Amino acid sequence: MIYLWVMDIILIAALFILGGLLKGVLGAAKSIVPRIDAIAGVAAAASKDLDAVVVLLTTQNYISQIVGSVANYGGSLDVALPDA
Amino acid sequence: MSLALAVMILLIVLIIAALAIYLIATIVQLIKINKGLAIVIGSVGEIVQKTAPVNGVVDAINGNLVAGRNLLENLFLKKGGDDCGGLVESLFPGEGQKFLNRVGRRGPVVNTGVVYTRGTVILASLGRGAPIGAAHAKGPAVRDPQYSTTAASMLYPRPGGDPKARPKSPVVGSNSPRQYEASSTPGVRPRQRDGSEAPPPSESTGRVEIRQPEQPAASAPPPADSGGGGEDAGPGRLNVKGKRPWER
Repeated sequence: MIYLWVMDIILIAALFILGGLLKGVLGAAKSIVPRIDAIAGVAAAASKDLDAVVVLLTTQNYISQIVGSVANYGGSLDVALPDA
Repeated sequence: MSLALAVMILLIVLIIAALAIYLIATIVQLIKINKGLAIVIGSVGEIVQKTAPVNGVVDAINGNLVAGRNLLENLFLKKGGDDCGGLVESLFPGEGQKFLNRVGRRGPVVNTGVVYTRGTVILASLGRGAPIGAAHAKGPAVRDPQYSTTAASMLYPRPGGDPKARPKSPVVGSNSPRQYEASSTPGVRPRQRDGSEAPPPSESTGRVEIRQPEQPAASAPPPADSGGGGEDAGPGRLNVKGKRPWER
C-alpha cells in the first residue's frame, strides 16, 4: 500500500515536469512561426530586388567597351608621349 | 479498489491528457512552420536562380577591369619610369609605395605633387618651355618644393593671357561690324600690292591663264644660273639659289 502512494507521488512530480517541458516546446514552436513569416517576406523582397541583376549583362558590355576605348586611348598615348 | 490505486489511475490519465494537448498544439505549430518554410524555399529558389549568372558576369567584368588596369599600369610604368611611384603618391597619398610593391619595383617614392605642381611635369615633358624641362628628368628638382605653387603661377600667371585684354574672336558673316565693299569683279585684284592701279581684267574666256612674272628691274641682281647652266628660269619665284621653291 505504501508503494502505491509512493508511485502516486512520483506520478504527480512527473506530471508537473512533463507539463513544463511540453509547454516550453510549444512556446518555442510558436515563436518560430512569426520568424518564418518574416523570412518569407524578406526572401520575397530579395527575390524581387534581384530582378535588376539582368542589368549586369549590360554593365558587362559597357565595361568591355570602355576598356576597349581605354586601350585605344592608351595606344594613342603610347605613340604621343615619349618613353621615360 | 483502494484509494491509492484510484489516484494513480487519475494521475496517469492526467499525464496522458497533458501529453496529448501539448503535443497536438506543437504539431499544429510545426505544420505552420512547414508551410512557412515552403514559401521561403520558393523565394530562396528564385534568389538562387537569379543570382546564378552573377558569378560569371562579375568574373568577366573583373577580368576586363584587371586587363584595363594592367594596360594602364604598364603604360604608366613605360612613360613615367622611375617617377611613377611619386606620381601615384602625389595623386593618392600613401599609395605610391604600395603601387611600387605591387608592380615589383623598388626605390624611393618622392611625392611629385609636392616638388612640382600638377601638370607642370606633363608640360615639361611635352616641351612647352617650362624651365624644369631640361633637367628634371634625371637630376634633382630645380624648383623650391615649398613654394612650388608660387613658382608655377609665375610660370603661367594666366593661361591665355588677361581675359579682358585678350582680343575677341572676329565676328564674321552678314552681322560683322566691319563691312567690306562688295566686289564688282570677284576674284580679280583691283590694286597691285604697291597700291597702283591694276590693269583692267581681260574678258573671261573660261580658261585659267598663267600670268608671266614681271621682268626684274635693271638695278636688281641677275638671277643665278640654275643647275642646267644657262637655262631660262621660266615663270615663278626663284629663291636665293636661283631655283624654284619646289626644286632642291
